[in-house]
Order: sequence, then C-alpha cells, then structure tokens
Amino acid sequence: MKTEIRAANLLEEVSGQVDGAELYQLRSLELPVRFAFGKLESVQSVETAGRALRLIKDGRLGFSTTTDLADDTTLVRNALESAQFGDPAPFEFPVKQPTEPVACFDREVEQLDENALIALGEEIVEEIKSYDAQLQTDVVIYRSIQEVQLLNTSGLDIQDRRTGLAISVEVTRAREGDIVIIYDSASSHRRQDVDGLALARGIVERFQWAEKTVKVGSKPMPVVFHRLGAAVPLLPLMSGLNGRQVFLGASPLAEKLEQQVLDERFTLVDDGRLDFASRSAPYDDEGVPTTRKSLIEGGVVRQFLYDLKTAGLAGAQPTGNGFKSGLRGGGFQRPPDVAPSTWLVPPGERSLEEILSGLDEALLVEQVIGLGQGNVMAGEFSNNVSVGFLVHNGEIAGRVKNTMIAGNVYELLKDQLLALSDRPAWVFGLLHVPAIAVDGVSVASRG
Amino acid sequence: MRDRILRALERSGADYTDIRVEHQWRTEVFYQGEHLQNVGASSELGGIVRCLVGGGWGIAVFNSLDEMERRVEDAQRIAQIVSDKLPEEVELAPVEPVQDQVRVSLPKDPRSVPLQQKQEILKGYNDTLLKYSDKIVTTNARYTDSFKEVTFANSAGTFIVEERPDVTLMLVATAREGATNIQMGFEQYGVAAGFEAMEGQEEKAETAARRAVDLLQAKPVKGGVYTVVVDPLLAGVFIHEAFGHLCEADFLHKNERLQGILQPGRKFGVEELNVIEDGYRPGLRGNSKYDDEGTLRRRIYLIRDGVLQGFMHSRETAARMGAQPTGNARAISYRFPPIVRMRNTYIDQGSASFDQILEGIDYGIYACAAFGGQTELEQFTFSAAYAYEIVDGKIGEMLRDVVLTGNIFDTLRNIDMIGNDLQIWGGAGGCGKGGQAPLPTTLGGPHVRIQNLTVGGRAQ
Repeated sequence: MKTEIRAANLLEEVSGQVDGAELYQLRSLELPVRFAFGKLESVQSVETAGRALRLIKDGRLGFSTTTDLADDTTLVRNALESAQFGDPAPFEFPVKQPTEPVACFDREVEQLDENALIALGEEIVEEIKSYDAQLQTDVVIYRSIQEVQLLNTSGLDIQDRRTGLAISVEVTRAREGDIVIIYDSASSHRRQDVDGLALARGIVERFQWAEKTVKVGSKPMPVVFHRLGAAVPLLPLMSGLNGRQVFLGASPLAEKLEQQVLDERFTLVDDGRLDFASRSAPYDDEGVPTTRKSLIEGGVVRQFLYDLKTAGLAGAQPTGNGFKSGLRGGGFQRPPDVAPSTWLVPPGERSLEEILSGLDEALLVEQVIGLGQGNVMAGEFSNNVSVGFLVHNGEIAGRVKNTMIAGNVYELLKDQLLALSDRPAWVFGLLHVPAIAVDGVSVASRG
Repeated sequence: MRDRILRALERSGADYTDIRVEHQWRTEVFYQGEHLQNVGASSELGGIVRCLVGGGWGIAVFNSLDEMERRVEDAQRIAQIVSDKLPEEVELAPVEPVQDQVRVSLPKDPRSVPLQQKQEILKGYNDTLLKYSDKIVTTNARYTDSFKEVTFANSAGTFIVEERPDVTLMLVATAREGATNIQMGFEQYGVAAGFEAMEGQEEKAETAARRAVDLLQAKPVKGGVYTVVVDPLLAGVFIHEAFGHLCEADFLHKNERLQGILQPGRKFGVEELNVIEDGYRPGLRGNSKYDDEGTLRRRIYLIRDGVLQGFMHSRETAARMGAQPTGNARAISYRFPPIVRMRNTYIDQGSASFDQILEGIDYGIYACAAFGGQTELEQFTFSAAYAYEIVDGKIGEMLRDVVLTGNIFDTLRNIDMIGNDLQIWGGAGGCGKGGQAPLPTTLGGPHVRIQNLTVGGRAQ
C-alpha cells in the first residue's frame, strides 16, 4: 500500500522550484439514487479524491492533475513541463483575505442515507402517480459531501466542508403521435431548500395546462418566459458578462460598461454569498472571497465577472468568480475559469396571472429544446418550445406543438420588455428569476 | 492488478459482480485568442464495482485501488437495499466468458510526444485562425488526447484488457462586424488514433475562419416550412439525435407506449432508407472491441429497406426484450456504470447524386454541419452551422441562424431522396446521456432531402 502525501508537504516540496504554486484537493462522497419509470433503478456510492497543481515558474503558468494522492513525482513533473511554455501569468497567488462566513454545510444532508434518499424519491413518484397513473416519472437524487482544501505559496490555507442535495424530476406523458416531457430540478447545500413535493406539484400543474392542445399562428407575438423558460433570455448574458469574452472582444457588451443597454426595469445580480445556495461558498476556487454585485443595474452594465487570470489580463479586479467546475462540472480536473455564482433578477410588481390577463394572444414558454445552441454570443436564440402554452384573452388556452421561437435577447430586453412577475423561481440551482414577459418574439408553427 | 481484481471479485456474494478499472492519460492544450488558456497533462486511475442481487444493482466507485475489496462489499450491501425494493429479478442475457487483451499500436503514441510539440501544432492552427482576417476577433482552439487502458472482469470468468486511444481537435473562429453582428465558424475532428492524426490540418483552420467571416454577410433565415437538403454531417446529427436515441433499449424496454410505436417490422421511411449502428469502422471514435460489460461488438441495422429492425442493447435490456446483446453498454469513465449508448451511427448511402437531389426544388434550404442538437423523445431540434438557399435547383446565397425542428416519425417519412455520397464523421465533443458526457461516437450519412421541415427563424 502506498502512503498518501499530505497536500501541505507536496506544496512545500514544490515551492523551492517555482515562483508560486497552488494546490487544490477535493475529496467527495456522492450518493446518487435513480428512479426510472416510477421504479427504483440503482443506488451508487461514489468515493473519489483528486488534486490539481497549478504553478508559476519563470513567470509562466503550468497545470496538472492526478487521482493518485501517493504520487507526487508525476504531478510535479507534468506541471513543470507545461510551465516551460505556458502562458505568462498576469497575477500572483493571493494571500488569504478575511471574509464573513457563508453557510455551505447542513448536518441534515450529511445524515441522509440510502434509505432516506429512496424515500424522498418514492414520495415524488407517488405524488405524480396520484394525478395520473399513466405518467412515467424519472427521478435522480444526489447527495454529496465534499472536502475542499486549497493551499498556495502565499500562505493561503482554506479547508471547507460542504454538503449538497439535488433532485431532478422528469415526467413523460406518451401518447401515440404526442409525447410531452416536463422536468424540473432543485439543489442546495441545505435539506430544507430542496422540496421534492413542490417540484412534483409544479410539474402536475403544467400537465393540467397541457391536457388540451391548441394551434398558434406564425407571427411575432408576446412571450412570457417562466421557470425553466427564463433560461432562454438569461443564457446569452452569461457569455456577454463573462470578463474573458469581454477582454477578448467577443462580447457584444465589451465596450458598454456604464452604458444603458437594457430596459431600466431590468437588474441582474451575481451573488456568491447567498447562504446555502448551491453555487455559494466563502471563497472561489482560487481563494478569492466571493462577492455580491450588480452586473446590470437599471439596465446599465455595471460589472463583468473575473477570475484571477482574466482580471490580470484586463487590468480589472478579480470578482471571486474563478471556479474549477463551471456550469458543466469537471471538479478538480479543470483549471479555474470564469463562471457565474447564483444569478438573481429582482422581481416586478404584478403576479404572473395579472401579466397574462393583460395579453390577448401570447405564448407562455416553460421549457425549450436546444438551449445554448446557435449564436448565443450574439444574443440570438432559436428554440423548439417543448412545453409552452397559448394565452388567449388572458387565459391559458392549451399546449402548443411544433412551435419555434426566435429572437435576440439584447434587443428584446432593451425595447420589448413588458413586465417581470412578482415571484422568482429557481432554475437549475443557478438562476432565481421572475417570469420575464417580452413583446415581438418571432413564432413559427406548423400549428 | 489481475490478482487484486480477481481477489476482490471473490469477496462478492452477489448474483453477478463486475469490476472495471481504468487508467487514463490525458493532455489538453487550449488557446483563446492569443492566450494559451490551458496546457497540461494529467493521469487518472479509478474503478467501479457493480453487484446484482435479485432485482437490484448496487454500484460503488473508487480511486484508491487499495479500497477495492471494501468497495465490493459496499456495492453488495447497496444492491441488497435496492433488491428489497424491487421484487422483480433482473436477468442478464448470456455472453460467453472471454479472456482477451486488445492492444493498439500508434505511429505517434501521444504519451510519448512531448507536450511542447502539441502546443506548437495547435499554436500554428490558432495563428491561421487569427490571421485570416482582421474581422476575426477571437478564437477557441483546443487539442486533446487521451489514452485509456480499461481492465474489465466479471464473476462469470471474463477478463479483458483493452486500450482505447482518442485524439481531438476543435477550431473555432469568432468574427465580428459592428456591435452586434458576431458569427462563429468551426471545424472539428476526432479519431481513435495517435498524434499523427492531428498533423497537417491547416486547411480546417482556414475553412473555419473563412466561414466565420462569410457568415457576417449571410442572410438570417426566415422561419417557415421548407424542402431541406442536409449535408452528410447534419444527416448524421439528425439520425443520431432524433432516431438513434429512441432505439436505445434501456429507455425503450420500460416504456410500453413507445414500444407500441417502435415496432420491428413497421415501415418508417422509403425503401432506400437504411440506418446502421456499427461497433467497428476502422479508425473511428465509436470503436471498441468489447463494450463496458465485456460484450463483443456487432454491426446492426436499426432500419433496413425502410423497415424497423431492432434496437441497441445491454445484457439487461436484451434479456428483458428477448434480444441479443449488441455491445452497446458503454460508460464515459470509471465514475459511471455502463448504459446503452451509440457507437458509429449512420444513414447508409442511397443512389442519388447531389444534383439530382437539388433538381426540382423551386425554393429550399441546404443546411450544413451542426452547432448542436437536442431531442425530447419524438421532438428534435438541431442548428445548422451554416446554410444556403436553394433556388430553382441551384445553390444560392448563404444563410445563417437555421434551426431545424420537428417530429422524428413525420420527418423520417418525409425523406424522399438519399444521396450516394456517404461520409462518417468524428467530432471533438461527443454524445451526452444520463449525466454521462462526452462519450466518443461518430455519425454520418449521405446528402438527404427532407420535405416539409419546419425551420425556426426571425420573421423579416
């Protein structure tokens, strides 16, 4: 049996050979429980560990990762080799800056065992079944306990223990020639924020609206982006407000700092410090304290997101948005990159019902296929509406099929914003946003 | 390693147990604009145990091989919990136990090519992208290689060691004109090969940059219903995304309603329509001799002469549906159990020339390559990377923002011509399913003509 080398010892060993170094170590215990078609399918226990070494030698960056905590020679050699021709490092590894705590650990999550997680899934399956026994329910429940350790040669030493609970539910109604799939998810560091029954009830509500199918014409019309649908207008902003895309000149917001680019009712906050939100932590994965800041305030661009490297290149301050796992995960294997924390859009005054009641003909878009495809950077979207409803004379008339929506987010949120609803909803554990109603979205339908 | 795995297998009291251990060496070089965003080599070692007890699977993943025996016990304990919830027994379709070693020999094994050579070659391609035009504002250029040694053993006596190489290249140019006209052109390439496959690809960089610049002048498409001709690449994305996923039996075997629609023997398209799922095409990314359950690869028809033939299977789905395992049980890594996945999937070639396909189209769309595709059962959507008008049977002006969408069964029936120019293509990404992405696969087809297809776009 080989003996594990302590992270601190490894860092000390390498420190004499380099200008600076950073060691990130992640141990995780994950417990995914899957239900397929209303039945328990599998339970897994995933125990993994790995570390990443990032270093600066002669001013250049090197990087390597390994899962073998007993082997230091390969890790150090690989990182040093890549530093021979790596990019110049426009930053130094940071010293530890004091910051207020952010809650990321919940004993209740830690204590959930296989049987408790199975019971959570069964409760969701039963709730859906009680509405319609023909519906097929898939559930994935994910409990994790992570130990993160981040050390660098500037004396930074952060150890953090985090819990996570995530539930995703996907319900299918399959009739010949007509299949509807409705999904939703919730995630948090804390047990009480993840309400499986509430997810199930929200999905049932959408199935009730979908009982009747109606036709919609092909023309520009108002669209209300609700729940998961709200990701459509917000996704392009993630590219546009990314400091690296701004620095590279690819973002359409690149020269727009302090300019009015969107409607004055629209504000967007990136919050890395919201207690228990699944993307929150006291420090980012480079040891910079996370922050809460307005990216867009009253339609004016106030701030872009930066990690250490991009901030150094752009001559900006890091914003605590350097994360090793971007939106798509990746854990310790990836170098840090610019990524959003939780995104909040402050709500408006009117309820969703009130907004709908003022619309003669509109689409309520709850879910699309093809999110993120196409020219996202330019703000363009073009999506198949997989769960969407025709609003006729202020009432939900039924579900629309074979319908595409298209538009440009920057244009719609600037000149066509109708309203923001009063109640924000969580989307992907990332966005907490109200329904967003805009006019003039192109709709193409085969009826 | 062999003794350790066999000893761990012996610890199991489950009905069936398998262990898969993977050792992977990876490198990545990644440029964004002029900046080398990442360069690094990594190694990863880990394993997964699956135990089947009665009707339940228990699964345990580990990094430390010292933990293997304990993890076998954990997997068995979990399987018992699952089994208590599921009275129905799980059967596995029989597969002959096999002892085999599958080694590959590469002209330039990426593990012995210095990192600097990889960085230099990518820098060359990245420079080509950047220098093509002053309208190119930034780039994404990524090189990856991976060499995996997969050891698979099960309680029925199978013991396989298989090496799987994979190299990829992604070249993206972003062109910009004014504040809001931002366009991307890309070319990508992925093969089961060594570093040699990544050499001499300057033309791809040039093509990607030229397309980004050309797209600045392209007309946005007007949404509506059109006759659409898709190029071999988009034909491949279509058949993989829209049809292939429905034929994955892990999904199908529990879904009675979908089984009612997808009945073997039922006609789904014209006589000339053939869809093939192949475990081995020389050099392609979807290849592996054995899948991640130790089943030998096969080549199967999903559709033959327009008629549905069968599905892709794991051992479990094959037993449930009374079929033969097809070698489609695949996992992206040791962190995941195998699920039913595609390998090399394509529409086989027909007889029409490209000119014959265009003939008689008054106004249509020629859609090429794909930004991506997604499906929800029968509904699909995929975005063409670029497109052209077809006017009076001739290729016309360039179009952009072309997104195709529809119902797969209607669309298969609306295919009326199939070209004679099959191409199978491996990209730099891969397929995603059940949280497992990216899995190396390939896809392809010839040029295919589809009547009455909905194209999303902004009204003009």
